[in-house]
Amino acid sequence: MRALAAEASKLASLPTVWIAMAAGVLVPSVIAAITASSTRSTITRGAATVAGADTGYQELAFGVVGAITLGVVAISSEYSTESAESGGGRQITTSLTAVPARLRFLLAKISAVAIAAAVLAIIASGTTMGVIHVVLGEHAPAMGADDVPRLAGVVCYWVYTALLAFGITVLTRHGVIPLAVLIANTSVVTVTYLLTKITPLANYLPDMAGVRMFIRRLADNTAEISPLTGGLVMTAWVAVLLVIAAVAFTRRDA
Amino acid sequence: MITIDSLVKRRGSKEILSGIGFQARPGRVTGFLGPNGAGKSSTLRILLGLDRATSGTALINSVPFVQLRDPLATVGAMLDGSGAHRARTGRAHLRWVARSAGLPRARVDEVLDIVGLTSAASRRVGSYSLGMARRLGLAAALLGDPEILILDEPVNGLDPDGIRWIRTFLRQHAASGRTVLLSSHLMGELAETVDDVVVINEGKVVADGTLDEITGSHRTLEDAFFALTTGGAP
Repeated sequence: MRALAAEASKLASLPTVWIAMAAGVLVPSVIAAITASSTRSTITRGAATVAGADTGYQELAFGVVGAITLGVVAISSEYSTESAESGGGRQITTSLTAVPARLRFLLAKISAVAIAAAVLAIIASGTTMGVIHVVLGEHAPAMGADDVPRLAGVVCYWVYTALLAFGITVLTRHGVIPLAVLIANTSVVTVTYLLTKITPLANYLPDMAGVRMFIRRLADNTAEISPLTGGLVMTAWVAVLLVIAAVAFTRRDA
Repeated sequence: MITIDSLVKRRGSKEILSGIGFQARPGRVTGFLGPNGAGKSSTLRILLGLDRATSGTALINSVPFVQLRDPLATVGAMLDGSGAHRARTGRAHLRWVARSAGLPRARVDEVLDIVGLTSAASRRVGSYSLGMARRLGLAAALLGDPEILILDEPVNGLDPDGIRWIRTFLRQHAASGRTVLLSSHLMGELAETVDDVVVINEGKVVADGTLDEITGSHRTLEDAFFALTTGGAP
């Protein structure tokens, strides 16, 4: 618990973590405001009658960039080198002299990242759905019992994505490349999505499977994967990656 | 008590340490001396469980560092720089370290005061000078009021005031029966601080004894050091 308290304290005192949190809330909320207002004008024009079932959820799938950043900086900050003028040290030496058991240290960090990502996902879901309801008013899709497992799926997806980003960065010990690749894949060039055009197996990549937990219809995609299956597939990816990261982390020189 | 025995470290085909062995005893300041690249930092990193030895042992009170029940209260360590992330404030850095050992917040202010960093505690570590970074590193080492201090190049980057202060501080620390192990490549700064001297060169211990024994017939510790590490005549 002390190790977890230390890791929580580290996250809370790191400015990039707050930037990640802000991005996690703002990105889906702002996109939701834009798409909802265009949906609203479509409906008032009479071109459509109701907003799609994935309204809000699509935006939350993009908003996961906040969770990615959180997962990456939680560990890359341990390895970033101080300037040469101030001695060129790295925080990981302090961390591992304070909590020498490597696995305990890593589990504490994983727990802190998971808790922070879950809190972020809950806040982001609240604001995003709130924005949708404010903008669409009576045209907003009604929230019902069906949305509870879907929103739980969003939280799960964000936590898992943060942990995937974390696990990859444990292996690279440097934040820039995982951050760039993962954020690009979520937003600009969705490599994993393009791969589904080549092989249906790509539907079982972690992000493609994970979004099934809350997205009902993927554009131009006919593969049928249930929310539960999608969640389990992503769980397996996260578990395997974290085990690899833990083995590497406990064996190598700090 | 620190006991290092037959420590060997290889990286690839390069042998960095070739059977390092020595002790650092309570109540004494042990100077671990050698030129840059001699293997001082590698030895200390293995002692602190950061790096893995190829063979040999490095023990603290007869157990490896990673098995200590309360590491921060047993060993205070300072390696390169401050060991803090540059975007955090000095105080925030010490707070998380204190949390990891269940130490009260008040202890953070105490150590800030001891190292004379109270006025800079709310600034980000990235804005610190080397001397301030070293003081922050020392503050973190002192948090748990440890019985053993392990300091890598503690005088590096300190101004003359700081050097004088750390000498007095370490002497007092040892006088109260604690163990101090410090590494340095600066001989002149150390002669007045250390009781025992271990000299290493190219991964091997070339001399181990009290300050008087090592200085021997040489005029100063510095002369003895150069005679031992360059093989040249005094």
